[in-house]
Amino acid sequence: MSLIRAEGLSHSYPGGVPALDRLDLAIERGRRLAILGSNGAGKTTLLLHLNGTLKPTGGRILIDEAAVRYDRAGLAAWRRRVGLVLQDADDQLFAPSVAEDVSFGPMNLDLPDAEVGTRVAEALAALDIADLAERPTHMLSFGQKKRVAIAGAVAMRPEVLLLDEPTAGLDGRSAKRLLATLADLERGGTTLVFTTHDVDMAFRFADDAALFDRGRVIGCGEAKAILADAGLMDRAGLDAAGG
Amino acid sequence: MGAAGVTSTIDRIAHSNRWRSRSLVEKSALAFGLLAVSLAFPPWPTAAVVLVVAVAATVGAAGVPVRAWALAMAAPMGFVVTGAATLLVTVGADGLGIAPNGLGEAVALTLRAGAATAAMLTLALTTPATDLVAGLARLRVPAELIELALLIYRFLFLLGDTLATMQAAQEARLGHVGWRRRIRSSGLLAANLLPRALDRAHRMEAGLAARGWSGGPLRVLTPRRPVSAAGLASVVAMLAALTALGVATR
Repeated sequence: MSLIRAEGLSHSYPGGVPALDRLDLAIERGRRLAILGSNGAGKTTLLLHLNGTLKPTGGRILIDEAAVRYDRAGLAAWRRRVGLVLQDADDQLFAPSVAEDVSFGPMNLDLPDAEVGTRVAEALAALDIADLAERPTHMLSFGQKKRVAIAGAVAMRPEVLLLDEPTAGLDGRSAKRLLATLADLERGGTTLVFTTHDVDMAFRFADDAALFDRGRVIGCGEAKAILADAGLMDRAGLDAAGG
Repeated sequence: MGAAGVTSTIDRIAHSNRWRSRSLVEKSALAFGLLAVSLAFPPWPTAAVVLVVAVAATVGAAGVPVRAWALAMAAPMGFVVTGAATLLVTVGADGLGIAPNGLGEAVALTLRAGAATAAMLTLALTTPATDLVAGLARLRVPAELIELALLIYRFLFLLGDTLATMQAAQEARLGHVGWRRRIRSSGLLAANLLPRALDRAHRMEAGLAARGWSGGPLRVLTPRRPVSAAGLASVVAMLAALTALGVATR
């Protein structure tokens, strides 16, 4: 049974071309899924659908094979299970200090203060940024902001973590460290789904890969096979791994 | 952006000084106490002593760099000195003349205003804006106002960055050579900042929703800083001594 399944998902932005076009995709528990495609292929739009930020104009999303609900209670339950980290951390960080920002999600789960404190400490430790707890969010480096944004999602202990371009803009070493941290999170039971332009990173890090082109999945399966398929990769506007 | 530069300097110092973790109660008692003393008694000698105490507290005890303190004092004191200068002259039936006692009054005004400004800086330079806002929350200021203040505070820095980037891009293309082009470029900059700010606000809303926010108050876990009895007692003793001095020299 798939953890999350998108069935015939369609979405059009007002006045624009369709961003998703009858898209089908399944997210399996415990398998790292990389979503690749050229700019504007619909990767980010899909992530925003997978945690209910956007509502599809057609098709549906199922979690544990049950169709999701878009009312307040349905969305709350959904976001408790599926965390989302946006590409630009500045879009996510709003609170004055790191610890306060990370506490936002757990507070929205209506947990008691002591439990919120525990979750914040745990998330900061998991992301290796416990020393930044008191730091104002506008005094962080790009990489630190990224980690804080991820900690904000991790503190909600989601089953699935959706990450939009987690390594974009990071230097090689920081990207490597972040991937190691994500792998640790996965060992704790979190399923990882991420979008990326970095074919080599996806080749090394992902179990599965889905190739996007103009709002559709044109190939999906084991990352090593998909990303080495020159013809398929060319259709997605990407260079095949190792090519 | 001069003003933005000063704001971020004040902010950075407020977060990194030795009094950062002192309770807001102690710091605001000191600041408002010094302010009251400097306003209640004649400027000499009370305001002069308040000024010394405020500098000793901010620079000496809290470890705020002298340069930063002077920078923060400069703008308000510019207004004060300009205002005080008008006391030096008098406009009468025979035109402009030198005011009798003008110099004494100008010095007294500058001293009092300087002491009052320095008193407020003991709070402003040692306490991040966010702690001040959290303090307001405890005083039961409506949550909506507080959230607005926090978001403005956060956006101030984001927009400051955006502004700096856009301005650098304009300068790289000679957009600021000559006053005519400078005015035009600045206008374009201001016009472009609004849609960008709205766009960012929209994305931030998505980010907040992703963490379970559904339109209610933005709740976070705010750390508590306990009041130290010894600290508060020393503030009260200091203010009592200054009041005694003020009364004795009135």
